[in-house]
Amino acid sequence: MTDNILEVRKLFLYYATRKGTVKAVDSVSFDLKKGETLALVGESGCGKSSMAKAVIRLLPRNIDKYDGEVLLEQQNIMEHDETTFRKDVRWKKISMAFQGAMNSLNPVLKVGYQVAEPLLIHEDMKKQEALEKSIESLRMVGIHESFMERYPFELSGGMKQRAVIAMALVTHPRILILDEPTSALDVITQANIMNLLKKLKNEMGLSYIFITHDIGLSSELADKVAVMYAGEVQEIAKAEAFYRKPTHPYSQKLMASVPTLRTDKKPEFIPGAPPSLISPPTGCRFHPRCPSAFDRCSKENPPAFDLGSGHYVKCWWYEQSGEKNE
Amino acid sequence: MGSVGGEYRLKGIAKELLTYKSGVFGIAFLVVLISLSVYTIIAIPYGGAIDLWRGEGNVWIENPRNAQPYWVNYFGPNLPETIKRDSHQTGAGTVKVLIPIPQTNLKMLRIGFSFDYVYDAFPSEINIFFSARFNESAPFLRIYWTKPGSTEIKLLDYITRTANDNFYLSIHPQVAANIDSYIAGIVGEKPLAPLPVEQALFAVEDQTIKSTTTAKPLKGTYKLVIDGTLFGEDSDLDARVVIYGRICGLAGTDHLRRDLTIALLWGTPIALSFGLTASLTISLLQLLIATVSGYYGGKIDSLIQRFTEGYMILPFLPFLILIATFYRLDIWILLTVIIVLSVFGGGVKSTRALVMQIKEYPYIEAARAYGASSKRIVLLYIIPKILPPIVPSLIGSVPGYVFLEAALSLLGLGDPYLPSWGKVIEDSYRGGALYKGYYYWVTEPALMLILTAFAFSFLGFALDKIVNPKLREI
Amino acid sequence: MAMKGLIKFILRRTVVIYLVVVFAIYLTIIIANMGGYVDEIVKSELTFAITSRFRNDPAYQGYPPDVIDKLTQDEIQLQIKRSGLDLPFPIRSVIYLRNALTLDLGNAQYMYSDSGSRLVKNIILERLPQTVMLFTTAMLVNFSITMSIGLYLSRHHGSKLDKLFIAGAPTSVIPGWFYGIFLILIFASYFHVLPYGGLVDVPPPSDPIQYFLSMIKHMILPLASWVTSAFFLGCYGNRTFFLIFSTEDYVEAARAKGVPPRQIETKYILRPSLPPIVTSFALGLINSWSGAIITERVFNWPGLGSVTYSAISAFDTPVLIGVTIIYAYLLAATVLLLDVAYGLIDPRIKAKFGR
Repeated sequence: MTDNILEVRKLFLYYATRKGTVKAVDSVSFDLKKGETLALVGESGCGKSSMAKAVIRLLPRNIDKYDGEVLLEQQNIMEHDETTFRKDVRWKKISMAFQGAMNSLNPVLKVGYQVAEPLLIHEDMKKQEALEKSIESLRMVGIHESFMERYPFELSGGMKQRAVIAMALVTHPRILILDEPTSALDVITQANIMNLLKKLKNEMGLSYIFITHDIGLSSELADKVAVMYAGEVQEIAKAEAFYRKPTHPYSQKLMASVPTLRTDKKPEFIPGAPPSLISPPTGCRFHPRCPSAFDRCSKENPPAFDLGSGHYVKCWWYEQSGEKNE
Repeated sequence: MGSVGGEYRLKGIAKELLTYKSGVFGIAFLVVLISLSVYTIIAIPYGGAIDLWRGEGNVWIENPRNAQPYWVNYFGPNLPETIKRDSHQTGAGTVKVLIPIPQTNLKMLRIGFSFDYVYDAFPSEINIFFSARFNESAPFLRIYWTKPGSTEIKLLDYITRTANDNFYLSIHPQVAANIDSYIAGIVGEKPLAPLPVEQALFAVEDQTIKSTTTAKPLKGTYKLVIDGTLFGEDSDLDARVVIYGRICGLAGTDHLRRDLTIALLWGTPIALSFGLTASLTISLLQLLIATVSGYYGGKIDSLIQRFTEGYMILPFLPFLILIATFYRLDIWILLTVIIVLSVFGGGVKSTRALVMQIKEYPYIEAARAYGASSKRIVLLYIIPKILPPIVPSLIGSVPGYVFLEAALSLLGLGDPYLPSWGKVIEDSYRGGALYKGYYYWVTEPALMLILTAFAFSFLGFALDKIVNPKLREI
Repeated sequence: MAMKGLIKFILRRTVVIYLVVVFAIYLTIIIANMGGYVDEIVKSELTFAITSRFRNDPAYQGYPPDVIDKLTQDEIQLQIKRSGLDLPFPIRSVIYLRNALTLDLGNAQYMYSDSGSRLVKNIILERLPQTVMLFTTAMLVNFSITMSIGLYLSRHHGSKLDKLFIAGAPTSVIPGWFYGIFLILIFASYFHVLPYGGLVDVPPPSDPIQYFLSMIKHMILPLASWVTSAFFLGCYGNRTFFLIFSTEDYVEAARAKGVPPRQIETKYILRPSLPPIVTSFALGLINSWSGAIITERVFNWPGLGSVTYSAISAFDTPVLIGVTIIYAYLLAATVLLLDVAYGLIDPRIKAKFGR
């Protein structure tokens, strides 16, 4: 229990837009142990990125609801004011590598400076020392120090992604949130990045929250898998248990859609389209597309049932097998 | 074709346009302008308008100069209207008696005009137009003036010079001298700065008559009497007196006595057609150039790009001035020159960027793969895609050209015979409207220009928000 | 390393721009001479000078008229040949071009400079500083106002004030000189608080401080008209720029990194948005050179524009040509400055030319 480095309890994040309230994160809870990798999997628009932003408190101006508990090393950082959050949490304890590394780097600042910048802010280091550390960080991700003086537009896509990772790790945080780190890259570069991530995790003892839509990719790194759909975590389980036998119909469909190399499987697809986050379906949010949906599914939204050893699933089929866990 | 331009159905656009306040304003103003134009073209045909504006043949002679619009009186001041009496039409206020003297070939003539003056300000001018018929000797006239409740003043002995003689009473030096003596007799001394004739003839005869600031008009019934001796059996004389007021017409008059409503009305279709033609032609030409440049690429592209950059350095207005000064330009040649000077302008660059973007779309590649000719691709796929984003700037740039025409007029380079708003402003500026307080002369054409500018500008902005949905959120 | 790239870039741009200027001036010469004006001027001046010389020279007083005529004609022909007027036009145009490029702009037909000189160059250059002063001040005032308000609006976008500026943006389609007429109408004609136009009070104060103050007083309305025209759209444009740039991903990344807000504003929003802002500033500058002509006419401001207007009214050809040439140079200089500024602030250019 106490080796949880991060505990998220009933996290809410709603956006207010012209067309209505977007319930991007609707009562999400999960735990992250030290040194663990949590893979957060889901379709586009299911709220995964919003979840990450909610944790690191990167909120836009049109917030409708932002609530819940986020215990970072047992401290509820939701209670921190903005300055404390900025100084103590961001980059010191939790870092993030954004989706679309191409755009995460300021085009008019040198790469070296940008990687060193968090040190200048958080550690109050002298510029020279910070640049030294940033050379180190870049080397760790496999970028030669001559790139310190270059500008982002001079780097390839893969290098930019590595630089972003270097930038996230330069302050030696405990947790690194990676939002689709490889979706814009070719498969070879993707493999390189994944290897890099594995190496870094071992060397630095990091905990990852790895956000992706690619369920196959997630299996490379995940110790724990959480499946998100329509703003809710539908299933969360240890990796082995999940990949072998996913319990939620949605998870099952996801697994079934992955083509395999060695077996003669015909990949399936999930009919229908992802639901609107403004007016999600009543009852279980997946029920319109669920092959096993029955009467109750359209009326009541199931709670998360505890199936034991940290395996929770939000599906009425498991009401008998698990205890309710609110 | 329907699906390519599908997002931009006309009805949908119109409906969405109305949801924006700026769209509503723009359309409302535009409707007003178009209806004015249509009305003007029907009511006052072009040729007639030009002739009127040229003012040949004394067509405006009976209008006062620099008169304010008649509705000014509703706001307080009691400014005089123009009073006219014609001895051709005897009746109330006009009497004519022509008596031949027996045993001579002389005739006695007496023309008597009377009118009420109820205004709080003086008239601007007084003229008498004689039409006489005589063989050898011209009629000999004595002109008398009577103020209400006062004695007759002899203004002048006068001999008409021609058959149609214009007698500018209020500036005639002899009349002025006679009035001066008359007034001196009343107030006991000659005023240092004597009142103008038209004021002296109407002023209250006390000490206030000594200066323009204190003089007040005397209200009551006035008489103008012309006693004359005519020579010859067939001789006759008619007189038409015009006492010019200070208000005239819907929009007032200018320094050449022209009714400004003509210029204001006719300025509308002129401005609209000028602006729209300029904008449309330039936009379409730029579109073509940008498409050719962006689609075909290579040497053509580089050449066109160099041209465009060069154009940016060419001093547009000085060139225009140079050409307009040396070669007498009417407004349509001016338009052509403006188009030529603008064709390789900035719009080419932005449209070309768009074309290059679209060129890379997969469906273009697909079209090429199935053997579509370049011409087909350009016409059927590319142009419909880049046309909508151009429309807002097309509309929004119309005022620029209208103001350009006005600016050239202000510099004295405009079409001299065209009744455009710019010309009126130029006239007013030269006529010292700002110094003399003839505000209406400046503000009326200016307001028309503002109306036109806002019509297109607001519309353009609203259209921009529709065509570029990104702008809506921001 | 970067400097070398920058210098190479500047040199290349200078050459290109200079070529365009040459082309523009050549075009001017061709346009102006299409009616044969330039040549007519020279010929007529020549004829007049020679004729009057022969008439007034006492040495020729006693000669019979036809002898004097012949002498006059001969001399005229000689001079025409000497000044190359008998050369075909293309060659002459190149000569004029060379003169124009070295700013040898000849004599005015009717106009004089304030110092009494007939040289077109003097007439124009004498008045140039006033124009530069007025319009540079206007641009600076404009720039600072629209930038600061734009920044403020971008931070408070969606607010009522913001909506007001969006609604008012179309008012900027009306050019500065037009607002100028209205401002004169209100403040000079009706309220009599500010002057109608001109540079200083008449008669000009002898005390330099009073003179300076008087000049400031006369600058108020022209400046105000310029600012009024550019106000709403300028603020709205900058606000939109800042908004677009502040919603960039790297801004969010910087915020995530914990970069303090003020640094985000300067390093992550302002710095990257400099190129388009500099571009719009330069474009505004270019516009203002042209707009100067009309504004100076409206306000009777004794600058380059007034010279132009006088030249138009007097139909003084050499001055008009000279003005056009000066404008070409001015515009070219502005564009060059723009390119240099770009080179300095956009690292991509330095890099492209440095390697």
